[in-house]
Amino acid sequence: MLLSFASLAVGLFLLLAALLITLIQLPDKILILGLIVTVPVLLLMVAYLTYAERKIIGYIQIRIGPNRVGPRGGLQPIADAIKLMFKEIILPRTSNRFLFISAPILAMAPALAAWAVVPFAKDWVFSDINAGLLYILAMTSIGVYGVIIAGWASNSKYAFLGALRSAAQIVAYEIAMGFALVGVLMASGSLNLSAIVEAQAGKFGFFSWFWLPLFPLFVIYFISGVAETNRAPFDVAEGESEIVAGFHVEYSGMLFAVFFLAEYLNMILISALTAIMFMGGWLSPFVGTPIEVWFSWVPGVVWFFGKTAFFLFLLLWFRATFPRYRYDQIMRLGWKVFIPITIVWLLVVGVFILAELPPWFSIEGGI
Amino acid sequence: MVKITINGNTYEAQAGQMLIDVADAAGIEIPRFCYHKKLSVSANCRMCLVDVEKAPKPLPACATPVMDGMVVQTRSEKAQQAQKAVMEFLLINHPLDCPICDQGGECELQDVAMGYGQDSSRFKELKRIVPDKNLGPLISTEMTRCIHCTRCVRFGTEVAGIREMGATGRGENTRIGTYIERAVESELSGNMIDVCPVGALTSKAFRFHGRAWEMQQYPSIAPHDGLGSNIYMHVRRNKVLRVVPRENEAINEVWLSDRDRFSYEALESSERLLHPMIKRNGKWQETNWETALNYAIEGLKNIIATYNADAMGALASPAATLEELYLLQKLVRGLDCSNIDHRLHQIDFSDQNDAPLYPYLGQRIEELEKSDAVLLIGTNLRKEQPLLNHRLRKAALKNTGMINEEISANIMLINPVDYEFNLPIAEKIIAAPSKIVSELASVAKALISLTGKNISDEITDLLADVSTNSIHEAMAKLLNEGEYKTILVGRLASTHPEFSKIRALAAWIGKITEAKLGYLAEAGNSVGASLTGVLPHQGIAGHKVENEGKNAFEMLTKEHALKAYLLLGIEAEIDSYAGSNALSVLEEAKFVVCLNSYKTKQMQQYANVILPISLYPETSGTYVNCEGVWQTSHGVIPPPENVRPAWKVLRILGNLFDLDEFNYDSSQEIQDDIHKKTVNVSLPNNLQDWKMPESINIAISNEGSRELEKIIEMPMYAIDSMVRRATSLQNTQDITQAASLYVSSRQLKDINITSSDGTSLDTQMPIMGDERVPDGCILYYAAQKDGFFSIWNESFKFCSSSYHVE
Amino acid sequence: MSMFSYLKSLSLLELLKGLRVTGEHLFKPKFTVQYPDEKTPLSSRFRGHHALRRYSNGEERCIACKLCEAVCPALAITIEAEPREDGSRRTILYDIDMYKCIFCGFCEEACPVDAIVETRRFEYHGENRGDLIMSKEKLLAIGDELESQIAVDRAKEAQYR
Repeated sequence: MLLSFASLAVGLFLLLAALLITLIQLPDKILILGLIVTVPVLLLMVAYLTYAERKIIGYIQIRIGPNRVGPRGGLQPIADAIKLMFKEIILPRTSNRFLFISAPILAMAPALAAWAVVPFAKDWVFSDINAGLLYILAMTSIGVYGVIIAGWASNSKYAFLGALRSAAQIVAYEIAMGFALVGVLMASGSLNLSAIVEAQAGKFGFFSWFWLPLFPLFVIYFISGVAETNRAPFDVAEGESEIVAGFHVEYSGMLFAVFFLAEYLNMILISALTAIMFMGGWLSPFVGTPIEVWFSWVPGVVWFFGKTAFFLFLLLWFRATFPRYRYDQIMRLGWKVFIPITIVWLLVVGVFILAELPPWFSIEGGI
Repeated sequence: MVKITINGNTYEAQAGQMLIDVADAAGIEIPRFCYHKKLSVSANCRMCLVDVEKAPKPLPACATPVMDGMVVQTRSEKAQQAQKAVMEFLLINHPLDCPICDQGGECELQDVAMGYGQDSSRFKELKRIVPDKNLGPLISTEMTRCIHCTRCVRFGTEVAGIREMGATGRGENTRIGTYIERAVESELSGNMIDVCPVGALTSKAFRFHGRAWEMQQYPSIAPHDGLGSNIYMHVRRNKVLRVVPRENEAINEVWLSDRDRFSYEALESSERLLHPMIKRNGKWQETNWETALNYAIEGLKNIIATYNADAMGALASPAATLEELYLLQKLVRGLDCSNIDHRLHQIDFSDQNDAPLYPYLGQRIEELEKSDAVLLIGTNLRKEQPLLNHRLRKAALKNTGMINEEISANIMLINPVDYEFNLPIAEKIIAAPSKIVSELASVAKALISLTGKNISDEITDLLADVSTNSIHEAMAKLLNEGEYKTILVGRLASTHPEFSKIRALAAWIGKITEAKLGYLAEAGNSVGASLTGVLPHQGIAGHKVENEGKNAFEMLTKEHALKAYLLLGIEAEIDSYAGSNALSVLEEAKFVVCLNSYKTKQMQQYANVILPISLYPETSGTYVNCEGVWQTSHGVIPPPENVRPAWKVLRILGNLFDLDEFNYDSSQEIQDDIHKKTVNVSLPNNLQDWKMPESINIAISNEGSRELEKIIEMPMYAIDSMVRRATSLQNTQDITQAASLYVSSRQLKDINITSSDGTSLDTQMPIMGDERVPDGCILYYAAQKDGFFSIWNESFKFCSSSYHVE
Repeated sequence: MSMFSYLKSLSLLELLKGLRVTGEHLFKPKFTVQYPDEKTPLSSRFRGHHALRRYSNGEERCIACKLCEAVCPALAITIEAEPREDGSRRTILYDIDMYKCIFCGFCEEACPVDAIVETRRFEYHGENRGDLIMSKEKLLAIGDELESQIAVDRAKEAQYR
């Protein structure tokens, strides 16, 4: 108990520290207020994402999912959280205690920190830095260290195998993901996430967004995102039917919960980023259509979260649909399919830009 | 040799052999119920019908002698049809109670019905019901199940020699049973359970306790007589549920005596000792092994330090394993003590230095069957060694038609009691114990005068005064005429006060007639005990020792009493002929260590430490039987609770005394050690090994006295602590009849019992008239638990007011 | 692989088909039974908790034939038998280890006297170690309690046995 609360406290402290360090500009009061609101909201989102997951997968499997705790099972995630908090944390005797405890923190801190540059709506961003995209890449890459360290520190064969798989997988998909983002970078001409969203504003609304010209990159980015977050069908790092639970097999109680939080935070992050990069972030899809005026009152943040929710739903849908990839197939897909396709499509995008293909790359709309 | 064809294959066979034997030898299965290879052929079940070419009807394979060129089909249409029909008839009156039948799962009827019967019965009428017979405490009956194969009847007449069982009535009304309600009293009655193909005769002790399929079968050796019968123990969940014979033609054939079969019940006795016990300040307490062993060692060391090693003595049960006996003598001799013995029933030890190394049968067990003249001296062979008796019976009945060919043997006996034998006796002499020697001397003299052979002048001189009569001469004649002659000396001779003379006389007779002279080893390892040197006068393999120790009888008499005793597996007051003296001697001893599987009140009176040791199914060990064959058995169940195998206990005792070469890790190592040391021992020559007696007393010692001569018999189911606690055996007539005193009917009126000072005593025991007992004698049974005469008591005298020597 | 199949796999058509199937299921009516509140009907062949039956005169049926013990694939049954005072064959120990039992129903099928049966009872629990090792007394008590239902079920299935 004590250990779990302590680790949570330390984790949150580190988080906040990381956030503060990233915000080099002096934060004003609103910013701090935003922070205080955002972190619990994100955690609450995670909680209800798990609920949504269980419900949706349940429905797809023609059952009704959790329905005992609270109305329609609505308090289930709270019950789960309380349960996890009260469970004993078991430290394996032969594990490296320091790394064993720090690994989940290392997994969760970047997942939270990445939100610092995410624009929820126009000007609704903690840190509107120009290197936002790089920062995101950096943060999501650090997350994998948590997994690798957890696998190694557990001193367990299954955990170690999970960690190795995870490392190799991340390396493979990071590249495809990076190339996909290079496409976005080329199209928008900026590393600033707000600028990327702004670049997608156009006369044709939904069709002005980058998903259409960068369609292959969009698909690859999202699939790579699934792989990055170790979600089905790329969940070989935990593969409970093969290596029990992979890297977190030795974790229990709150330490396990932190891993859990990190994974779901990453899911939300990937969905949010996909919305930003390819789906116009907070932009309304009806710009340029006759019904545009009807939706003009909707705040951008609603569009943003709606799009994020759509991608989250896709993630759950995938999990309910696809069986787990064989490991060598994952590697083949990453190295031999995604990377070549992204490279080819970068060339194509280059040609688009040179040709100033409207509406995305014409002078008025783009650069 | 003839050639026959069975199922298309050609086989060679002896002319006159039965078809079923040839088929069995060839491994061709023919179903059968009434046929049993050790019993005569009756061919009444008709199950073994086979199709013989040119025969109009199927013929029973068990009663059809083979002929040259015979062509037989065992599974042809015709044969199968016949088998099916017979099976249907057999099942008509057989109840469908397999679920509650003890034979279920090992039933020949079940097996054959599955293999050769049809799947449904057409019989719709009522089945018959047969009332059960009470066949005594060993066999339970369910006569409705009987299929009238008559195996039990034939077993009774042909093997057990009792004509108690028979078939009465005809057809559906046939009943198997004793015509008058009575128990089957044969000492081999348990075999009826085995021969019965169905569940009509089952074991009472085993009744409803287990199923054939849930037991594991382990081979073992029965230690209750000198034969070392081969047995299987059937074990479930570490409990021996029953014992059945293991076929060994050289030893027990396919039979087993009741004693060996039912003794396993004693494993669960309530008297079983489960933890080491020590007596502190006059109070008994259970303790752990360490405390008990240290206590024992300390006590013995004290005695040795205060007096010397010779103040200590050890007595061992001859039913202990070879390894235990060896370790015991190694321990005792290692402490520079020679007071060790296992001959608990012997009184006369005067010729022990000249006697054979061990009580050897003089021949192989199988060879007994060849005998055509047998002289039995002082033995109730049927009760002592039931299966040796069976061999003699086979010899005696060779030409009676039950077992074909050759002449039968003439069995003669010289006994103090006219015991019932189940074989024809050619000549017999029943004489009071004090006259046995002179009767034997008369036979020897008759032989010398008949043959004119002179063994030595000394003997001729000794026999000068001996007179002979017609019986002695007849015996001499028969003995002289025989081709293969056997003389067997039994328990009543070896416990005789003049055993050395009997030994010498038997050897003389053997020499004159060139007979095989055999001693009947009392217990499973009497031979082994002598071989390993559990004897005061010699060590292992007959090595002479420097300081000859005290023998068993001396150790337990007051004049020679010792300060400390080590008792292995015996209840000295019951198991020894020193009797009540033993009890008082042990009570007066300073320190007594008992290694025993049971605890008794008496033991708690005299012992200081009782160490629980395992019984024979719980330990590995070797038994050397009366023909000198070593047989090793392994433990089949673990010892209960804190009980340990005696060899381990003795090993630790040796270690605690810091003796050399006591570091055995398995009984196999001990056995190897013994084997190495005894490998050069050859079979004893019973005809050579005897001592020249100083005189042959022909005068009757108690002439004119009114005191009756005591004849002490060991009841067959009281010979060792295990048998004494086998509840079923204790309910047999052999034990119930032991609760009385027997005198010749003519003297019945005038018996009174006095203690040595002349006061009269009430024995609480009925005194019965018995024609078997010669005049001037009283027969009583020793080794009874809690009976008045559980103990041989020298202080009691039996007097008859009207007794006169004729 | 032909160009066509390359393109086909790149189009993710198969995956989309799969998503359609699961997507359709999302909207199908759910057949979850709200277990403690609702229960599914039980067959008369239902194999639930065991019971030992008695005859109508109160005599226990079991005759200690041990066929159930022999046939039990999980070795869950332990029987010790002995002659009862009246000489009949009876068990003195009849234990079913419900931790081991796999509810295959072989014991019921092997029983020549319909003594051991599997009832419709499937909701049971133990609160102490060893609570679910059912002794003869416990099994007989369950048999007594449920006899009316057991008898109906056996009668219904009698023609098929």
